[in-house]
Amino acid sequence: MVTKAAEPDISARLGGLRLSVPTLMGSGCYGSGEEYASLVDLAQLGGVVLKSVTRLPRLGNDAPRLVPVASGLLNAIGLQNPGIESYLASDVAKFADRPCAVVGSVAGFSVDDYAFVTERLAARDEIDAIELNISCPNVGTEGETFACDPDLAERATRAARAATAKPLIVKLSPNVTDIAAIARVVEAAGADALAVINTVRGMAIDVDRVKPKLANVSGGLSGAAIRPIAVLAVWEVARAVRIPIVGQGGIETARDALEFVLAGATAVSIGTGNFTDPRVPLAVASGIRTYLAERGIATLAEIVGSANPGFRGAR
Amino acid sequence: MPVLETPPLVHETVVSDRREPFSDIVIIGLYAPKIAREARPGQFVMAVTPSGERVATALGIYEAAGDRISLMLVVVGPRTRELALLERGDRLVLAGPLGNGFQLQALGKNVALIAGGVGLASLLLPAQRLLADGARVHLYYGARTAGALVDAELFEAAGAGVSLATDDGSRGHHGYVTELLAREGRTHETIAACGPSPMLRAVGTLARTLGVRAQVSLEETFACGVGACWGCVVPLERSSAQAPAFPPVAPGETRDYVHARICKEGPVFWSDELRW
Repeated sequence: MVTKAAEPDISARLGGLRLSVPTLMGSGCYGSGEEYASLVDLAQLGGVVLKSVTRLPRLGNDAPRLVPVASGLLNAIGLQNPGIESYLASDVAKFADRPCAVVGSVAGFSVDDYAFVTERLAARDEIDAIELNISCPNVGTEGETFACDPDLAERATRAARAATAKPLIVKLSPNVTDIAAIARVVEAAGADALAVINTVRGMAIDVDRVKPKLANVSGGLSGAAIRPIAVLAVWEVARAVRIPIVGQGGIETARDALEFVLAGATAVSIGTGNFTDPRVPLAVASGIRTYLAERGIATLAEIVGSANPGFRGAR
Repeated sequence: MPVLETPPLVHETVVSDRREPFSDIVIIGLYAPKIAREARPGQFVMAVTPSGERVATALGIYEAAGDRISLMLVVVGPRTRELALLERGDRLVLAGPLGNGFQLQALGKNVALIAGGVGLASLLLPAQRLLADGARVHLYYGARTAGALVDAELFEAAGAGVSLATDDGSRGHHGYVTELLAREGRTHETIAACGPSPMLRAVGTLARTLGVRAQVSLEETFACGVGACWGCVVPLERSSAQAPAFPPVAPGETRDYVHARICKEGPVFWSDELRW
């Protein structure tokens, strides 16, 4: 890649995690990164958030797990994963030579799960940071409970914080009345950054077969359909906390990503957008550079939260 | 426009020809030399929706020769409607070829192909390859009505026998395509099939009855197409050679199968290893 001296600096910092490009690939959408290596030059990504891992293996939900809907996608995968022990033995080593940041994602069903899996995963050199998935909507009520209850959100975060000194990102759910209130307790509990938002709960019904389209009945809605919900969530969280925010929800273009940045996100995450076109992350990074260059702005950090008068974070 | 680096499996292709042999069935020819060269029978591509506003669509590679490939699609919703509007000279971004194709060696020398609707698209390359390798091939092809039975002559031209069936009886056997083969009894060594899930389930039952093995190519909604999202799974015997490396069973897990990704471990599976 040719880098001109005058090119704007679009790097981003999430606590101790430095991203050369402000684009993370959303957990669950990008596997371990290697699945996409034949479609995308991983060196042009900020980082990959790995698929969530739990303490015990999970077979995941029955099929069908996906339903395309207007401007988005409903999914209910159900956290299929081999469990932390097998994951450490056979999967983690594959991340050692990633040309971008690698963020491990931890899901759980108890405070102790979060502590245990975070400690085990973060101990590995291949993992640069941890994202705490306290907001999976597709594993009964228990998975998302942590992001919907301030007390549980705080305890899960505190437990993970105690388990690692690596940068800790906590992923929040939009399926709450007051996301800013959850954000505050998670910040106070020691999170280095917040991922805003996970999917929005939804469902679809097959009117010919008279039954829900997903085997799990309900799922998480992602894609362009949820972008305005996500931008507002970032806007509100950015007025409530000082730690950096990773904005996510339906980002498909640089202008989409810039909405999140101007609302207060330090970096962005792309999930479903990769399913529209695997080149989306590259176009987002390139478009952000162009936007800054055209306005004579030297760094992306300068414009974080600049549309949001209540932005409290550091730039 | 920023210059984006093109990784090995992402291709900017150009529409070279287009035909619509029946209402809402469209065959799009594309200048795509690399895919044409590399495609194995039964593989698919992810087609980026031209508007860029919808999840990409998985399509079986229909023809592949010289610099050209073609894709056959039936208009069933907004994504396929967009693709069906492509005209000669339009650009189309494809990721592929992806997935594992048919295991042709294992199909032997006397093969029944069973196609339902545009499932036909995934069977032409296998037919051509099998015939080139000296196998006998017979196509059993079903669709809802006579007009929707398109391109059977391409199979005949390649040297395959053809039997037809329609739901409405307007051409060939009046009823399901699997009934044609059931009536003949065990006249083939193996079966290779592609079509809607209910048909493929019937193929599985038929194969068991006839005492032959069947490879079935599953049509599913994919999101990533490369095995990253685990959205397109099918229950598969743990003992299957195609079962993903998936370790210990969780305490309390009552399901005795694994979930295989159709896009990655498939899209072709042995029907007797599926648990659907």
